[in-house]
Amino acid sequence: MGKPEVKGTVTSLSSMFPPEEVQKAAKMVEGKLSEKQNEMNQLKEFIADNASLINLVQKLPDELHHDIMVPFGKAAFFPGRLIHTNEFLVLLGESYYADRTAKQTVEILKRRGKSLVSKVDALKAGIQDLKAEASFFDSTASEVAEDLVEIREYEEDNSTERASQSGPVELESPSVAEADNKVSSSEDDEYARLMSRLEELEKEELAAEDDGENDEDEDANANAAETETETDGDEDELTEAAFHRKKDEGYSSLDHGQRSLESQPRKQLQQSKGKDPMNEEMPTKYNHQGLTNQLACTGLTAEPVTKGEISHSRIIHQDTKMLNPPVNASVRSEKARSKQNVHDSSRNEKPVQTPKSEFDSSKAFTGSIIEHTENLEKKLPEQKTTSSQSSDSKPSKPVSRFKMQRK
Amino acid sequence: MDSLRQEKLQKFEEFVDRRLKPDLVRAIAERDKVFDQQKIFSDLRKNIETLEKNSVTSLRTLVNLGSEVYTQAEVPDTQRIFVDIGLGFHVEFTWSEALKFISLREEKLKRQIEEYTRLIASIKAQIKLVCEGIRELLQIPEDKTVEGRVF
Repeated sequence: MGKPEVKGTVTSLSSMFPPEEVQKAAKMVEGKLSEKQNEMNQLKEFIADNASLINLVQKLPDELHHDIMVPFGKAAFFPGRLIHTNEFLVLLGESYYADRTAKQTVEILKRRGKSLVSKVDALKAGIQDLKAEASFFDSTASEVAEDLVEIREYEEDNSTERASQSGPVELESPSVAEADNKVSSSEDDEYARLMSRLEELEKEELAAEDDGENDEDEDANANAAETETETDGDEDELTEAAFHRKKDEGYSSLDHGQRSLESQPRKQLQQSKGKDPMNEEMPTKYNHQGLTNQLACTGLTAEPVTKGEISHSRIIHQDTKMLNPPVNASVRSEKARSKQNVHDSSRNEKPVQTPKSEFDSSKAFTGSIIEHTENLEKKLPEQKTTSSQSSDSKPSKPVSRFKMQRK
Repeated sequence: MDSLRQEKLQKFEEFVDRRLKPDLVRAIAERDKVFDQQKIFSDLRKNIETLEKNSVTSLRTLVNLGSEVYTQAEVPDTQRIFVDIGLGFHVEFTWSEALKFISLREEKLKRQIEEYTRLIASIKAQIKLVCEGIRELLQIPEDKTVEGRVF
């Protein structure tokens, strides 16, 4: 699949997705899956009981009296008979009871059955999602185990970029192709969005650069150089790269969790954005996403960026960032990546306290990146090493930038 | 030396976590079951005594058909009561016979509970022992590395 072209990066999958982490994630998903299965079984039992009860209630009024054994506690019976066979006392919940006839009771029970059935359907959908996630993790685990190497190649012309994975096992490429195919359609829309955002961000970035660069001398310089190089040429490539990430993410076109694992670099992009509105959005969106996977992913990538100024507490921001439209992230990240690092560090540390807070307003991105690194530290220690490596390889290639973030 | 100790430490910890703790949990669960049985029978006894005291001959109750749907039921003669004696058997008793049986049953349950309590106590003691060993191993690392603390 790869077209040997201008630039390319080779990453071993195992460095991106440490096998233990993948296995852990796979196990987690399996656990959740089994939980849901249990719940579903229980609900099915309830439905069966409900159905048999409906039958019974319908049959009882056929006789005036029924001879039965009346239970007395859990361990004793009295022989007796059922009387008033058409009157039933039904529990409506919260210690409220209702005296109903057989017909009315049957109606109540039928309504209960309907709600149970809808619950089962909802559970089924959830189980499907989890299964897809699990299969994704499994495939990733097998790929990692096979020492698959991911090769990203970027063409100068903005035709479709494909991230090709090749390695000892060529079988993987067909699956990757499939994934790409699946994702390509959705990416077209995103591409358009990306382009427009990219332009917006560029403008902001230029404005912000002037202000923000001052304080963060070292970081800024380093980052600035990067951003400049980035902005200079290959915006298209960047977007392309972003696409790729999205493609990668779209392996199973499902949960964020999958994405997070796959698109670590993407996350970085997102993080780096630093648009003010983005930053503000993030805290609010924090609540939405509770995907730990994302955290893990983002955390990893952010490490190199933050340069030790990371604050763990920002993890939340990361979540929000990740969740935020990937488009924004990818587009912005390209530009403000370097800046954001600077900003993020300042932001993360203490938006309130640090003198660098001024950056925050101008360059919103800063906060997110740092957070990620925190996560990275916690979750994927391995990533640190890779990220640090990536930071070294800034230079000219737009690809390396992504790699950096990815790592 | 240190690696040896680390190994031992690990073995002890694993032992505690994999064998002793689950054993403890299981034993406690079994004992709880017996507690429940005991409660059932003591409730039954109290009810029968109440019936006897008030000389109740007939009874009106609500029978749960499942899912909390109740039907009225009448017991014309409360003299005969069928008690579950285990293994799926129910024996017809009069009140006094039932009470006698229940007291016998309660004795047996009490003995079972004592057994379980003893078992639980011994497991807890073992856990404590191993933990102490681990603690000693850790707190005296510098002194004599090759002390050969074998448990």
